[in-house]
Amino acid sequence: MNGHEQFADDLALYAMGTLEGDERLRVEGHLQECPACRVELEKFRGDVALLAFSASGPRPPARSRERLLAAIAKEPRRIETRASRPMAWWRAFEWAGAVAVVVMVLLLVRQNNDLQRRVADLQSSSARQQQQLLQAKQLVGTLTSADAEHYVLVAGKSPPQPQGRAIYVPSSGTLVFLASNLPQLPPQKIYELWLIPTKGTPIPAGLFRPNPQGSAAVVKPPLPAGIEAKTFAITVEPEAGSAAPTSQPIMVGSRG
Amino acid sequence: MRRRDKGLSSAAPNVVPADVTLVSAIRSGDERAMAQLYERYSGIVYSVALRVLGDTGAAEDILQEIFMQLWRNPDGFDVSRGSLPGWLAVIARNRAIDSFRKRRPEVEMTEVVVGIGPDMVRGIEWNRTLDKIRGVLGSIPAPQRSALELSFFEGLTHTEIAEKTGEPLGTVKTRIRAGLLALRKAFNR
Repeated sequence: MNGHEQFADDLALYAMGTLEGDERLRVEGHLQECPACRVELEKFRGDVALLAFSASGPRPPARSRERLLAAIAKEPRRIETRASRPMAWWRAFEWAGAVAVVVMVLLLVRQNNDLQRRVADLQSSSARQQQQLLQAKQLVGTLTSADAEHYVLVAGKSPPQPQGRAIYVPSSGTLVFLASNLPQLPPQKIYELWLIPTKGTPIPAGLFRPNPQGSAAVVKPPLPAGIEAKTFAITVEPEAGSAAPTSQPIMVGSRG
Repeated sequence: MRRRDKGLSSAAPNVVPADVTLVSAIRSGDERAMAQLYERYSGIVYSVALRVLGDTGAAEDILQEIFMQLWRNPDGFDVSRGSLPGWLAVIARNRAIDSFRKRRPEVEMTEVVVGIGPDMVRGIEWNRTLDKIRGVLGSIPAPQRSALELSFFEGLTHTEIAEKTGEPLGTVKTRIRAGLLALRKAFNR
């Protein structure tokens, strides 16, 4: 049964014709896609026929034979000889109807095939999107996790300095910002990231507090698309954040 | 009796025609072929129906119904369905259970398939086959045999058998399967 033991008992019952309800539907569904179980079912059907033979016993009374033969004699088989008979006028409609049905069936089959292809494409696309979504969630989870450990690589024995790295896609307004070695702030204060456009005033790009190790991340803050950035800056703001900077930037960057 | 076809009449007198030959002759309206098939297999059809129904009159009705269906629609059987006697026996069982439960036939004749070849039961091998089947059924544990018979000859579901015998459902299922496998093993199928 090639590992389909869970269906073994039910196949026997199915061959007996006594499997009902959901169990029957489950077996029928499995049979459609499992050649090995179809072979096994055929064997069970043969076993069932052998079981039927065990009933062999008395012959039927003679009157049964006479009854059957008399019934047959009254009901001779008619062997159609259509070619010798002219086609009745209504037959033309029957044939036309049959042709129409065949055409309709062919169209439906074609439509069904198209739909099946589209469903398969959609299922494939959906699976890809699910995979991409999963990867994106894992990425965001890694970046924003409180347990994330950030390592700063510097040359020589330089003491670690506060630093931030912003990755920005202007066309979509997508921003990922990572910071490390930031000093802790009092509870009533918070760091605020600013997008400094080439034209216009600074745009708030997210509030954050560093973890105990001084690391922080801002992933996809709400930013308008199509803004060209001159640079990014960080200020210390009241804990609710500000619409415009209220202090001098503690960190400023430029495009590398 | 009228004969409507030369198919069988032209056969050599001492040659026993195969089942498929007789069915083919029936397609041509040969009543003698029908009579020959009746001689061969009315016993098994009647026995199965009688075993299920326990009533000779009702079993005769099933016998009549099945052979009339074969007469009216011989194309319902072909060799791909297995052996003719196996096919007739399983149909007899299905019809008898439908009759017992006073319900319309649930399985059409053309849907019945038996997985044993036409050579399984022929001529003098028939009695040996029956002896062997009875031997197997006599040798398996009584609860296994009972589960098989309740399922096949009474048409009970495994749930109904479990309720009737007080055995767990899984046990009933396994017994039915094991009983069928015992028959299979005896015939090296």
